[in-house]
Amino acid sequence: MSSPASLATRYCCFLVGDNCFAVASDSIAEVLRDGRITRVPHAAEAVLGLLHLRGRIVPVIDMRRRLGFAASPPEAGRTHVVVPLNGEFYSFLVDEMLDVVEVAEDRIEHPAAAADPPRDAVTGVYAAPGRLVHFLDPQRIVNGLEKRRDQVLHRQGASHGGT
Amino acid sequence: MSDNREFIEEFLVESTENLDQLDRDLIALEERPDDPQRLASIFRTVHTIKGNSGFFGFSKLGALTHSGEHLLGRLRDGKIRLNDRVTGTLYSMVDAVRSILHSIESTGVEGEQDFRELAQTLAAVASDDAVEAATPAAPPIAPVPSSAPAPADATPAHTPAFTDAGPAAAAKPESTVATDDAPQAAATAPAVPPPARSAAAVHEPAKTSPAVTETSIRVDVGLLASILDLVGELVLARNELRSIETADPALEGVIHRINTVTNSLQETAVKTRMQPIEHVFSKFPRTVRDLAVSCGREVQLVIDGADTELDRTLVESIRDPLTHLVRNAVDHGIEPPAVRASLGKPRTGRLSLRAFQESGQVTIEVQDDGAGIPVEAVRAKAVSRGLVDADTAAQLPDDRVLQFIFEPGFSTATQVTSVSGRGVGMDVVKTNIEAIGGTVDIASRPGQGTTVRVRVPLTLAIIPALVVRCADERFALPQTAVAELVSLRADGGPRIEGLDSASVIRIRDRLVPVVFLDEFLGLRPRTACHDAGTVVLVRVDDHEFGLVVDSARTGLPQAAADGAHAASETATLSTIVVKPIGALLAQLGIYSGATVLGDGGVVLILDLRGILRVAQLPPLHRPAAADGRPSSADDGETYLVCRTGSGRRIALPLDSVARLERFGTDELQPVGHRQVVRRGQSFTPVVDADSLLGCPPHPADDGTIHLVVLDERRGGVGIAVRQILDVAPAESPLQPGLAGSGVIGTLAVGGLATELLDLTAAPYRS
Repeated sequence: MSSPASLATRYCCFLVGDNCFAVASDSIAEVLRDGRITRVPHAAEAVLGLLHLRGRIVPVIDMRRRLGFAASPPEAGRTHVVVPLNGEFYSFLVDEMLDVVEVAEDRIEHPAAAADPPRDAVTGVYAAPGRLVHFLDPQRIVNGLEKRRDQVLHRQGASHGGT
Repeated sequence: MSDNREFIEEFLVESTENLDQLDRDLIALEERPDDPQRLASIFRTVHTIKGNSGFFGFSKLGALTHSGEHLLGRLRDGKIRLNDRVTGTLYSMVDAVRSILHSIESTGVEGEQDFRELAQTLAAVASDDAVEAATPAAPPIAPVPSSAPAPADATPAHTPAFTDAGPAAAAKPESTVATDDAPQAAATAPAVPPPARSAAAVHEPAKTSPAVTETSIRVDVGLLASILDLVGELVLARNELRSIETADPALEGVIHRINTVTNSLQETAVKTRMQPIEHVFSKFPRTVRDLAVSCGREVQLVIDGADTELDRTLVESIRDPLTHLVRNAVDHGIEPPAVRASLGKPRTGRLSLRAFQESGQVTIEVQDDGAGIPVEAVRAKAVSRGLVDADTAAQLPDDRVLQFIFEPGFSTATQVTSVSGRGVGMDVVKTNIEAIGGTVDIASRPGQGTTVRVRVPLTLAIIPALVVRCADERFALPQTAVAELVSLRADGGPRIEGLDSASVIRIRDRLVPVVFLDEFLGLRPRTACHDAGTVVLVRVDDHEFGLVVDSARTGLPQAAADGAHAASETATLSTIVVKPIGALLAQLGIYSGATVLGDGGVVLILDLRGILRVAQLPPLHRPAAADGRPSSADDGETYLVCRTGSGRRIALPLDSVARLERFGTDELQPVGHRQVVRRGQSFTPVVDADSLLGCPPHPADDGTIHLVVLDERRGGVGIAVRQILDVAPAESPLQPGLAGSGVIGTLAVGGLATELLDLTAAPYRS
């Protein structure tokens, strides 16, 4: 591609539900398929569990649930996009990896971001030929979870408070 | 330039270590002022720093250490004698050097501080006892700089002891002294060292210092961590390899060798995490010395077990709490010499630091022979702070009263004077130690001293564990918290008793609250059947509770860190590698980490303290100041709360209850004017709770009687109630009740007013 190299960033696109999302390819540590997931009781709903990744324990976030889609059918969505954040790793579980696109910053539209989950992590939109690419901020994906985790803890406290 | 930067970093690390050594040496020197080897060691250290600072062009540092070296030279040559002024000045120099190094480390330059005055003091002290003719003006110290780089020093012929010492400038003290001293010392005293003395001084450094440098290297901690991670990976791969069936003897042989090597590799790699506690203890001689001087105490510090090893991350975490305890002991524990003498104690107080390994934990004792903690003052303080009411406080045994010291905010400025100040910040000590899975105990005898015992795990990263199964999931529990495993069987043995929110298990004569893990974690509804499964009895702090799981086994056949291959389910003690689960999940507060088992599966490690907190279990025998609980005005006792047939809410102290039973009304048998139920070979007398309260009994409509059976001290009487409601601590002090009604008074339990049965009343005495 021959876009103005100065401002172009490479993004990895993937499918969640029937929508195309993308994160900057620089922010991705690796992509892997499958992997056994151990569930974590009382974790936020979108946190599917833990994945063992070469000695590290990585929380797996189901992007369907995180982005407000119906939960994945068991046979779908087995691709882990592993992203390092603040010294920790997170896996975003997506339906399918797509291509890598190179987009100049000025081609991205920035609609007012939603303040709350599920759409709070979308920072921009780019109209590619034949599809709309939604750009995600990994940090916001995780932050949104923390908000929900508070609610979970609250529930948990309520259900066990009486004992 | 970057090369230089690297050297400077090395210089900083080395110098910092040297300064620690210097502290130790100076203290040793104070005890034995005539020890020439010690003096030589000190001299050498200062000289090394001086040489290096000249090399890197740190002129302030150079000037300062030059003055120090000069003073030390005079000391060594017997020109001046060691006294408080000399040592004090030398300590100031060490501190100044430290602050310059710190500045270099953070800013790259020596900083703005002016140490010329100190340098002059050093020079003045150096010339003190010299020729009385006085040295009108101690010559201002010229920046030493580049004239003194170590390599430039000629190695005189009379230092054969050094020639094999090899590394660096470190090893040539007296030769440098001779040359460097010359210009400055000429004004005050002859600079030629008596050869005999310096020769003697030389031996020790030659044999210690090079040995250390040659057998150890510096390795980045992050690098070690990643080696450990990779070894963990290798272990997993090895486990997979081993599960491959093969008929090829060659392949079998290779697999066997890989297995053996992997085991050894893992053991060795794990050792790299360990560090002797020496790294913390080594600071204390100086700390104690400084404190003793500033508080006017005489203290002898005895250190034992400094070679005890524990995880390097833990070594760092115990530094502050231990320092605090040591300060407390000197500042508030050990009395001033005059006071001690008047009490018939030796003037010099004894502070002992002892570390040793014990059952997978490291115990550190800080013991002083000082005044001890005035228990009565603590008691009074606890009452005045509203932590406990006066009556209860009066009845508390001394060791429980001492626990108030760990209460947050117990120590205040006023308390420092009124309660001897002991216990300042003890809540912080306790919090910090507990944060790393440790415990703190305190014992004190008035007039004889105080002992604080800190127990910490050997390592945070690798722990012995118990893996339990519950609803098809596996969870790990730290084995140190597990007291006992109890099997639930249909045919007798311990059973889970009580209802809904107040389940307990009777273990021998105690009722222990239980948590159903499946229900707690929301895995499935609570285990319907209580006749199968296992109760893991867990002790955390002052609490004990049972965790009901499907099955439990010690050890894991193929745990990641388990070197030995054990295919059976009955493997003994096993260790797991604790891995962080990330802030997102750690903040749930019920998991302390996760581990990878041999089959590659991830298993969560339960945070038992967190579960205790979330489940809000009452403590069994709770010291009044239990951990983490709001210190309301309760009396610390735990109660069993029941509803009587007439609907009254009553409470009994849990420790008076032997067991809970359930009978049909038809099982009641009249014996004389009383009623009994048969239990095996014996009969339990039954009294109705309502009749105890002076109300007519209300027979149960469903034909079921819940019986709270009191322990033998109270005649083993069964009290018939309609419903067992709760097991909970009181939230308010007892309000005395009406006399003669069978209750002592009213207190708040579980947010509701509850009548406390008077167990001293007649019906309970048989």
